Amino acid sequence: MDVKYMNPFIIAAQVVFKTMLGIEVKMGKPILKQSKQTSGDITGIMGLAGDQRGTLCVSLRKEGALHVYNTLMGDRCNEINEDVIDAIGELTNIISGQARKEFEKSNINLKAAIPMVVVGKDVETNFITTLPIVSLPFYFSVNGGNEEVMYLDFSFEY
Amino acid sequence: MKVLVVDDFATMRKIIKNVLKQIDIETVTEAENGKQALEILKNEKVDLIISDWIMPEMTGIEFLKACKEDENIRKIPFIMVTAEAQKSSVIEAIKSGADNYIVKPFTPEKLREAIEKARAKVVQGLGG
Repeated sequence: MDVKYMNPFIIAAQVVFKTMLGIEVKMGKPILKQSKQTSGDITGIMGLAGDQRGTLCVSLRKEGALHVYNTLMGDRCNEINEDVIDAIGELTNIISGQARKEFEKSNINLKAAIPMVVVGKDVETNFITTLPIVSLPFYFSVNGGNEEVMYLDFSFEY
Repeated sequence: MKVLVVDDFATMRKIIKNVLKQIDIETVTEAENGKQALEILKNEKVDLIISDWIMPEMTGIEFLKACKEDENIRKIPFIMVTAEAQKSSVIEAIKSGADNYIVKPFTPEKLREAIEKARAKVVQGLGG
């Protein structure tokens, strides 16, 4: 995997979490996934088109998604509901936008669609591209210590 | 001052409303896309429009162009708040008549500053 495809997503995750949530994320080791199943409990999915065709998934476990929602909205939500689903959709949208801005610096112009959100573990997603899928884990602390993770899973046609 | 907030995500509409509340603007009307927003503008007097770009039914850029073609609403200040950060998008929006362009993710201060500028314009009678 050429780093020019990875770096925009790394920068996007860091910038979006820092700016909108005041959270520093720490990237873990990238994984090459051989399955099309979602990595977390709630996942925003967005198709990318333009100079390259690809798919981006933003996936969080329940606790991570609730922490993101509660931090963003100043709320105290304990369950994944419509509001949390909406927030993860918008998070996907914003991460995609920031990543596309970074891709532009490498002369790769991408257009995005409206994201959709799926709730549930191991949901098979319809990546338009072939395997493998690159999965970037980003770790962050919630509620004073527990570690949560957001996965940015993506693949492109070459 | 009445603000029309247009975004297909309720999360972003709430975030924008919270920023508006911080600067004592509590008269807010909402729409989920450009088409709904145009309907609202037919019936309600609005002083400022804050709109997303990528939305179903009618996108923000189509909505902006429709506003600028309508003699009755073309002077209402229009702030685009969007994840579309590419240069070509910013240029297209500004050329189409957007008064300000804010890229998501944004800090509340950045949005507040843009709203304050638009409000000053309204107070001076340059908008609406």
